[in-house]
Amino acid sequence: MTAIERYLAPAGLDDALAALAGGNATILAGGTDLMPQINAGKVAFRPILLNIRRIPELRAVEVGQGRISIGALVTINELKDNPVIAKAVPLLAEAADHFASDQVRNMGTIGGNVANASPAGDTLVPLLVLDAEVELASATGRRSVPMAEFFTGPGRSVRRPDELITALSLPLPRLRTVSRFVKFGTRPALDISAVSIGFSATLDGGRLSDVRVAFGAVGPVPMRGRATEAVLEGAALDAAIIAKAAATAQGEVKPIDDLRASAWYRRELIHNLLGKVLSDVVSR
Amino acid sequence: MNAPQHASLIGQRIPKMDAPEKVAGKTRYIQDLNLPGQLYGLILRTERVHARIVSIDTSAAKALPGVRAVLTAADVPIHPIGVNKDNPPLKGDKVRCERDEVAAVAADSLEIAQAAIKLIKVEYEDLPPIFDPRDSIKDGAPVIHAAKPDNVAMAFDYAHGDVERGEAESDVVVEDEFTLHRVTHCCMGVSGVIADFEPVSGNLTLYSNTQVPFLHKREFAEVLGMDPSRIRIIQPPIGGGFGSKLDIYPFEPIAVYLAKATRRPVKLIFTREEEFIASPTRQPAIIRLRSGAKKDGTLTFRTVDVLLDNGGYTSWGATIPFVMMQTFSSLYRVPHCRYHTKAVYTNNPFAGSFRGYGNLQATFAIEQQMDKMADALGIEPYEFRLKNAQNAGEVTGQGMHFKTCGFQDCLETAAGRSGFVEKRKALGAAKGLSGVRRGVGMASMLHVGGGAKIYPSDGCGTILKLDDFGHVTIMTGASEIGQGSETVLAQLVCEELGVPMSAVTVVNNDTDITPWDVGVHASRTTFIAGNSAIGAARKAKDKILAAAATVSNMKAEEMDLKGGNIVRASDGEKVMPLAKMLRQLHFSDKAELVMTTNYYEPPSVHQDKGFKGDVSAAYAWATQVVEVEVDTDTGIVKLLKVWAAHDVGRVLNEMGIEGQIEGGIIMGQGYALCEDMPVVEGHLVNPAFRDYKLITAPEIPEMDISFIETMDGEGPQGAKGVGEAPSICMAAAVANAIENATGVRIASLPFTPERVYSALKGRPL
Repeated sequence: MTAIERYLAPAGLDDALAALAGGNATILAGGTDLMPQINAGKVAFRPILLNIRRIPELRAVEVGQGRISIGALVTINELKDNPVIAKAVPLLAEAADHFASDQVRNMGTIGGNVANASPAGDTLVPLLVLDAEVELASATGRRSVPMAEFFTGPGRSVRRPDELITALSLPLPRLRTVSRFVKFGTRPALDISAVSIGFSATLDGGRLSDVRVAFGAVGPVPMRGRATEAVLEGAALDAAIIAKAAATAQGEVKPIDDLRASAWYRRELIHNLLGKVLSDVVSR
Repeated sequence: MNAPQHASLIGQRIPKMDAPEKVAGKTRYIQDLNLPGQLYGLILRTERVHARIVSIDTSAAKALPGVRAVLTAADVPIHPIGVNKDNPPLKGDKVRCERDEVAAVAADSLEIAQAAIKLIKVEYEDLPPIFDPRDSIKDGAPVIHAAKPDNVAMAFDYAHGDVERGEAESDVVVEDEFTLHRVTHCCMGVSGVIADFEPVSGNLTLYSNTQVPFLHKREFAEVLGMDPSRIRIIQPPIGGGFGSKLDIYPFEPIAVYLAKATRRPVKLIFTREEEFIASPTRQPAIIRLRSGAKKDGTLTFRTVDVLLDNGGYTSWGATIPFVMMQTFSSLYRVPHCRYHTKAVYTNNPFAGSFRGYGNLQATFAIEQQMDKMADALGIEPYEFRLKNAQNAGEVTGQGMHFKTCGFQDCLETAAGRSGFVEKRKALGAAKGLSGVRRGVGMASMLHVGGGAKIYPSDGCGTILKLDDFGHVTIMTGASEIGQGSETVLAQLVCEELGVPMSAVTVVNNDTDITPWDVGVHASRTTFIAGNSAIGAARKAKDKILAAAATVSNMKAEEMDLKGGNIVRASDGEKVMPLAKMLRQLHFSDKAELVMTTNYYEPPSVHQDKGFKGDVSAAYAWATQVVEVEVDTDTGIVKLLKVWAAHDVGRVLNEMGIEGQIEGGIIMGQGYALCEDMPVVEGHLVNPAFRDYKLITAPEIPEMDISFIETMDGEGPQGAKGVGEAPSICMAAAVANAIENATGVRIASLPFTPERVYSALKGRPL
């Protein structure tokens, strides 16, 4: 049974933030995570249902000062199809193509995917390797939180109940940046990741720098692979380094057994797929 | 002399008659039907897996405004349903699996019913459960049904020949154990019923998705203590059956109890989650198979021991050993065979009937072992199969008489078109455990193709009428469940009466109108209902031509019906329009309408107590070859291509039969690769399409389908049944292909990436 007392659909951000100030509102954007969770009884509506979809500034995509800002309401299909995003951060557009189904992608938003904080969220691993920051706003102020510090557990983050995600802000990748995203599920479409891997680095003169590696669905939160990054930073990608990086990754992830895969299998996949990703980088 | 040539409709590509409505979203399924004054029914399920019911308190639910009835076992007659009569629609004393129905509500709205269900308090005392069928038959195991203290729901023993002698003659003996998992039908149309009980007349109308309306009517009468003639079953368009609607289920009598209690129509429709939890599954099975052969590749014997997980209750599905034993005894020539199967009770979800009916499980075991034996003998597996394959004219140890048999043609065609022998050799030489490997695999199957005489009659009735304008109405007992039967029946009648498809209406969904049929099962509808319809059409044709003879200068046998006209048989010259003849008959002194009836009973026999007898009027055969790619880094198996050769007797509607075969292949692919219902301590873990993995469009392989036309003498225009056949071979063929690619043989399903990867690493799952 629902306990919604008020439904609000403000057209301005300030009104939305005022409604959130009491911390007793449920935020509705695309609803593709919220509604199944409500229907399954995993989440209960708070007294205020706050529909943020009429706030135009949350849809903005802007490039400037070496960064791209992607509004929280940008849908997954817009990530895939927006030429500005595809040019600036192609990895994100590529990841969007692996995301659920067209129906879900038409409704689901990047802000919602971040807010849902699923360890298997499909945009989170690319956002991690792209060094994204989460832009948060409340009636009392604004702040930015680096993605790597945003998640605190499955479905949990540092976002306070009175805060709204307004945008994701990403530095524009440098020249000679190579990036990869691999999502592994049991079928090519409509699947939730058993594991996912993101990789980004600058490749100059055969050596890697500014290496960022991230893993999804292998721990309570989408994680940066700091030990793996350390192995790769400054290294030339040869077979020995690839093997060492793959083994390091296998050791640093912290997967669990669940319906989708065992912890053992997830570690094996991280090892084998990271090896494939790095070999692919070399071959290009 | 240039009389028009009228092409035969047989073998043409004819779109299904119900397709335009379905594609346009205009079809009204049971979900779309609402009766005036209707209430909404909802069931409280136990969620315990084995427990004694101590008490049920419904007082708060009854007090909720808008609730019209709350029923428990105490309020209804105790009349268990199911083939073993072991399943009371509402459970009174104990519950045996998580789906068990303990109470039901009828309310003014679904929301009120949902609220009321939550107000029912049930107190339980848990009983020791059984989850592994091997534990069910251990000494001292908990008893699930007091009437069956050994937990054996059904047992089957069959033998022909002398297996000890066969084993003594063998040069090679192979023994394996195969483990088959649990999957479900995933009909797009979920289960549902609307029960409309008229208190004044005492008539009960059921709007039902059943695929066996006449058996349903009879069982309903028994359960409800009613006169069967007071029960009318109307089937709205059915969104898929695949065997799931072959039984009566507790929700159906419950809806009637609610309708009787409230004197109002009650609509009860499952949610998708409920469909997963409370509709039946394919039988999980553990198959121990031991077979022998001589050095020259002649099969000598086979012994089979099968343990089936029946779940908490017994459905018709517990009789799948009938079909399994046919495959073990008769797919190949085996001189000596012994077969034992037990279906045992557990506290898992209960299994039912599913397309293929045990044959997917049996074929998975037998066709993997054929490859293993061929390797042990040093004979090419294709040659080994060909050497032992049945031929036309054969009567098997089980008494099946193969009057037509395209098995060897199927083998040759599938192998030839795929280049199987050369490919298998080349890919096998390169097999290995690293990188991406390719392999091919083959499997064949035997299934009934001319009905199955299980019930006292395997027949079907047809009533046919022509109106004054030459329009034909076919009233048939055979239900349409999406398989395309109404189109093929119309086509067969059009062929006889020389009228276009647009001149036919098929009525097939109302037991007050249509004559009896045993139901949609055993791939029988085209064969049985088709022969019945042809018979009715021929009677009409005889009547029309006899009348034409009285008004022309020709004898009846010199004329024919073509293109909507009565024509001269020798050259197709028009004699008179059919409609004109019909009006002359009607509005003359004769005053006759052309209306005919026909009941077709196939010339098959019931099996004797030893399960021997020619149970079907025809038998279908198929060979499927698959090519797969195995990524040894992840365990992903990609199905690249399927070559399917099917003995279908004769192609009637090429578009329809292609659809059946393509759909069956994909269903078999899902069984082989990804569909699974993990049950942990009696609870289904994945009751949603998010986690129950059906095949999606990108995974569907290229298909090369060949029809072997053996022109069966008893079949309608020579056709055999084909509904179940295409799903049967896939799992076995994929298993053999994985072995060809990697050298690793996997004896359990499904071949999910993790299972395959674990097997490649030699790690037990």
